[in-house]
Formats: sequence, C-alpha cells, structure tokens
Amino acid sequence: MNTTHRTRRTRRRTAKAVLAGALALLLAATGCSSKADDGDKGGEAADGVRTGPGVGADTIRLGALTDLTGPYATLGKSIVQAQQMWAEETNAKGGICDRTVEIVVKDHGYDVQKAVTAYADIAPDVVALPQVIGSPVVAALLDDIERDKVLTFPQAWAASLLGRDAVQVLGTTYDVDMIAAVEFLTRTKGLKKGDTIGHVHFEGDYGANALEGSTWAARKAGLKVTGQKIKATDTDLSAQVSALRKEGVKAVLISAGPAQTASLVGVAASRGLKVPVVSSAPGFAPQLMKTPAAPALAAMLSIVSAAPAVSSDLPGVKDMVASYRKKYPDSPVDSGVLSGYNAAQLMGADLKKACEAGGLTREDVVKAHRAQTNADTGLGTPQNFSDVDRPASVETYVLKPDAEAVGGVVNAEDAHAAPGVEEYLSAR
Amino acid sequence: MSDRLPAALTRRRASLPLLAVALCLPPFYLDAFWLRIGLFSMAAAIGAVGLALLSGTAGQLSLGHAFFLAVGAYGYAWLAGEPGPGLPPALAALLAVLLAGAAGGLFSPVAARVKGVYLGIATLALVFLGHHVLLTADSVTGGFNGRSVPPLTLGGFAFARSDPEPTVLGVPFGAEERLWYLGLALFAFTWFTARGLLRSRPGRALAALRDSETAASVMGVDVARHRSAAFVVSSMYAGLAGVLLALAFRRVVPDYFSLALSVDYLAMIVIGGLGSVAGATAGAVFVTALPLLMTRYADQLPLVTAPGSAEGAVGPTEAARYLYGAAIVLVLLYAPDGLHGLARRARDRVRRRRSRAPAPDAVVPPPSQPTAARTKEHTP
Repeated sequence: MNTTHRTRRTRRRTAKAVLAGALALLLAATGCSSKADDGDKGGEAADGVRTGPGVGADTIRLGALTDLTGPYATLGKSIVQAQQMWAEETNAKGGICDRTVEIVVKDHGYDVQKAVTAYADIAPDVVALPQVIGSPVVAALLDDIERDKVLTFPQAWAASLLGRDAVQVLGTTYDVDMIAAVEFLTRTKGLKKGDTIGHVHFEGDYGANALEGSTWAARKAGLKVTGQKIKATDTDLSAQVSALRKEGVKAVLISAGPAQTASLVGVAASRGLKVPVVSSAPGFAPQLMKTPAAPALAAMLSIVSAAPAVSSDLPGVKDMVASYRKKYPDSPVDSGVLSGYNAAQLMGADLKKACEAGGLTREDVVKAHRAQTNADTGLGTPQNFSDVDRPASVETYVLKPDAEAVGGVVNAEDAHAAPGVEEYLSAR
Repeated sequence: MSDRLPAALTRRRASLPLLAVALCLPPFYLDAFWLRIGLFSMAAAIGAVGLALLSGTAGQLSLGHAFFLAVGAYGYAWLAGEPGPGLPPALAALLAVLLAGAAGGLFSPVAARVKGVYLGIATLALVFLGHHVLLTADSVTGGFNGRSVPPLTLGGFAFARSDPEPTVLGVPFGAEERLWYLGLALFAFTWFTARGLLRSRPGRALAALRDSETAASVMGVDVARHRSAAFVVSSMYAGLAGVLLALAFRRVVPDYFSLALSVDYLAMIVIGGLGSVAGATAGAVFVTALPLLMTRYADQLPLVTAPGSAEGAVGPTEAARYLYGAAIVLVLLYAPDGLHGLARRARDRVRRRRSRAPAPDAVVPPPSQPTAARTKEHTP
C-alpha cells in the first residue's frame, strides 16, 4: 500500500516536471528559432536593384507547378524541357539583370492538394510562375496568387481567368478560338443560314467557355448549335456521333482532349458522317497521327490555335525547334514545346523590363508585364497585356494535321482576327 | 533517475500535456509548407475519426465521406461569403457542420436500413451527385473554378494574414500559424468527444451492433435508430473537417471532393486500425502527410532525378508513389490491426519487459513482429 502511494506521487511529480520542462524548452527554444530572425527579405541588392522573394544577388528563381505523372504528363514534360532550354540559353547569354535564371519545377500529378502544398513550398522563393498546369490547380491557387502578386502564366485558356492582375492567359481564350472556328466553317466549308453545328465539349470551364463562343458566333451567322457535354474520362464517342448524325449536323466543333478528338473523327468517318471537324488547340496531339484514325484526321480535322504550327516557317519557331530537337532528340515536338518556350520568353522580357525600371520585386514584375502592349517573341502573334479583362491576343491560326510534318500539323491559314470577335468582346 | 523521463513518456497522464505542448510548438519553427501539411493532416484526422465511428465502430461502410466534407467546406464558404447570406464566419462554421449533419440525416433512412457493402454502394451515389451539383450550381458553388473561402474571425481575431503581421516571441504569425491553433483546438474537441462517445452507452451499442445485429437487438438496442444516428454524427465530423480544409485551402474546388478522396479516408481508417480514435488519427497523418513529404524529399534519394530533367529516369513523384505503396503494403503486412495495434503491442511489450527487469535500457522499443500477441481483430 505504501509503495503504490509513493508511485502515484512520483508519477504526479514527474508529470509536473515534464510539463514545466517542456514549457521552459518552448520559451528558450523559440528564442533561437530560425523563423524569428528571418525578417523582411526585401531590400536593395549591391547593384541598386530592388529585390524581393526569389531574387538574390546573382540568381532569379522562377517556379513551375506542372504535371509530369498525371493525365497531362506529355504536355508537362514538353513545357518543362522547353523552359529549361530557355533558361540555359538565357544564362549562356549572360542571364537577366546580371543574374542567372533558375526554374524550380514541382510536379503535382494533377492533384489539387499536392499542388497547393507545393505552392506553399516554393512561393516564398520564387518571383514568378511561368508555368502552372491544370485548371483545378489554377482555380485553387487563384486567390493565393493574387494575394502574393506572383506573375503567373497558367497553361489554361478559359476566359474566367481574365481580370486578375497577376494571372496572365497567353494568347486567345477558348471562346475567341471557337468564334474563329465558326467563321472558318462558314467562310470555307460552305455552311449557310439554318444549318446545324454540333459542339462536343468537356464539362468544366474549358468546355463551357468554348461553347459560349460557338453559340454566340452561330447566332450571329444564323446557325444552330447543338451541344454534347462529355467527361474527361469518356474516350468512346460513338453515342455522341450517333446523336449528332440524327441532328443532321453539317459540321462538328470539339473542345476536349486528344483521345476524344481521335474517337470522334474515327467513329464519324467509319459511320459515314463525313463533315468538317474543328478542334480547340488542346484537342490535338502529334501522337494522334500514329493511330489508325490518322487518315480520317488528315481528311476531316482542322485546329484553331493562337500559336502557329511547330512546322511553320517563322524564323523564331524554326530556330527553337532545331535547338529543341538537338537537345532532346527523343522527345516529340508538340504545341506544348512552343507554348512553354513562348511563355518563358515572355517572362524573360518582363523580367528584363522590370530590371531596367530598377526593381525585381513581384510588384515590379507585374507592373512591367502590364506595361507590355506589343510583346512579340517571334513565335506567333504579338500580344497586348495592358488590359486585364481582355485576351492578350485575338488572332488565331488554322492548322491541318499532317503525319509527315514536325509536330503533326501544318499551317493552313495564317494568323488573323475573326470578324465579330471585337463585337463579342465588347458585348461581354 | 535516468529512466524517469522515458518511463513517464509511456504513461498516459504525463504524456498528454507533453504532447499538447509539443503540438503547440511547430508554428514557431516550421514554415508554411510544413504547417499546411499539418493543417491538412489535422483536418483529415477529424474526418477520419468520423468515418472510424461509422465504419470501425458501427461496421457500416461509407464511400460518401467526400460528399459530407464538400457539404461542410462549401456550406461554410457560402454561408460566410459573398454571394451568400454573409453570416459571421464563426456562426457559418457552426451552421456548416449542422448542414453536413442534416445532409447525413436526410440520407439516414437509407443508412438505417442498408448495411455493409450495400451501404457503400448507396453512398457512392452521393459522391457523384455531389460532384455534379458542385459543377453546375454556379451561383452557390462557383462552378468549376470554385469559390474563395472567407477567413474565420473570432471576436475580432482573424485566422488570416493581416498587415502588419503580428509577431509572437519574434515569430511572424500569418494565416498558417494562426490556423494551426484553430486546427489543434478543433482536433482536440474531436478527440475528446469521439472518445467519450465510444466509451458511452451509444458507443457500446454500436459495437454490439457491428459484432452481431441479432444479439444487439435482443439486448434492447434499436438497430435502425443507432445506425442512422452513427451516420449523422459521422457526417457532422466530416462537415467539421470540411470547414477546416476549406480554411486551409483558402479556395474550394469541386475536383478535390472526388471518389478518390472517399477512398483515401477509407484507407486512413484501415491503415490506422479500425474502431479507435487514435488509430484514425495515425492513419490520417500517414495517408495525408506521407505522399506530400515523399514528393517533396524524394529528389534527395539516389537514382531519383529532378523533375523533367532527363529521359526515362524516375522522377520524385513516381519514386514517392512507389515508396507510399510499399509503406502501405508493409503496414498491412506487419500490422494487420493497423498503426494503433502496432503501437499498443509495442507498449505492451515495453511494459512487460520493464516489469521483468527494470533496467534503464528496457525502454528501447523492440522490433515489431507479426507473431506478437494480437488482440481482437475486426472483420470489416
């Protein structure tokens, strides 16, 4: 009995000692926490340039939140490689603002939680994000990006991303592309008043935004649009083709992924629905030209895109493709390479401009970016970033699949703004 | 004297305050990345405790947990935000939890009558229904791009970043640091209420129900009522987890609340050990934090290259997935009753060895062996 009494008292005393010790440890240890003396990082470097997060005395760090293991792995890899190539080229020429450029790549595998954590991980150390892949990822990060004023080029083109100072959609938005697609159909494929167009589109903001554009343009041209909503997991479009056939469509628009485009065109051709098909830019990948659907794609498909074909003879594109093939001989050259490289070059231009104005803080970079009214990288059409509510460009190319060409596509029509786009933008 | 501290650590009463103090420390040392992982883990733990009550204790399988998380998260974002009623955030958080409970209550006629795998399939419908509604009810949910989550304020104190940032002991306190303590408080609330519930009459009735429905009803347990009550309580915990998740994410998007999330929660309670609060917590931390940490640090491993650098090499994310898969297999192989069972067996062994020979080195945790005495195993 005596022993139990003693143990209990000892135990209570131990508990108190542990608690007191831990509290003392807390107070003592926070004194030497690395977070405590980690004051405002901003300031002025030795060369008189204002610096902020991600900019050191001789480095500029950019971030990339990409998908190298999820559904957009091919696209992600192309963009990452193209941007790394740009960074190496830039550093070989002496860097930007006498600093070397470094890209911190984080792979989120199309997982929102991983992406948000990765953002928290890299955000304090980067000045801007020239690549963020994945619409849900971009959506989840919008508020943080706006709050932190990190200039971001998302690899997504929905009009709902416009109107934010720090977020820049490069090129045209999906709705503008589809207005151009409808105009292309009426101009070259002989569609006339009263005809019906089918529009197969993903659910979510990609499909919704594209449908908005096609519906507007069709109403202007006196056409009727019949929409077919599909999921990203639907890869057999037989049912949609049957439905479109029953509607008697004269042409089909598709705003989905490459797998859906291949299925739509392949099934339509085999069932005798031989109508022109126009796809949004993300709906095509060069790998499709190695599938059995290739002949049907070559015969029926056109692609509307803000970027030229990789096989185009623009000198900038030619040089870029040549060095990319030299550096990554085993990788396919697709539109991701072009858009990734283009984004990196535009980012480089912004950084240079910000440096000339004497500051490389995030605010300075966003300000420099918004001051660009005619940013031309030689990789397509010039872009105007001064109006946050407007797409940076309204000119689109029309591309045709070609199994022989680099990247599987050739230019069919040069860049031009579809009539009606201005009216659409001002009405919105 | 030397064995006093380790001995105290293995004792419940002393380890609790110590643990509480240890959990209060991270905001002073770790940066936002770690704190976010901690926040996600705490939110997951709250949700997993709810599911553990339902699946582990009452023996009901639910694949609809993601739906109730979404109700909590979106409920808070809508009730406290614009467009929406714009209620005071604390009230909105409370109402969001009740809303999740009400959603569970609406489904409880089904939950009361259907059991086991059949309930799992029935709840599957909720996830798809919920995801569709989140995408299409634009005015409430913001559609595909989701909506931003207004920060929680309690009596003038906002759980968000403010300018200028206040400092505590020289450490700047931003959103993550403040939310950490909110998460801790909510988690502590969950921990004690759930444990109380499990040890009370209803908890024992649920366990009886799981083991034998006939025996339980002979003992006077109202089968349907207890089943539906378990479902409602579980969805309220999910709602609370949803609120905390929304606050940690700062923006809610529909794609997060998918079937994969429900499966993650099931994995949490299985890995942690069915039917215990501590097990659900351990499982939640395992499933939430491990993949994030592995992805972050996998590039330190040999043979793993930086993302997107070379051809055909293993990138950090792939490596993390292999490791995570291997970890799950190891846990299920060597701890079939979950992390909770593993810890309990280790503790028992320490205690036994100490009573035999109270030597200072006795507290070294012995390697766990699958042959160790195993207590009752639950059949799911």
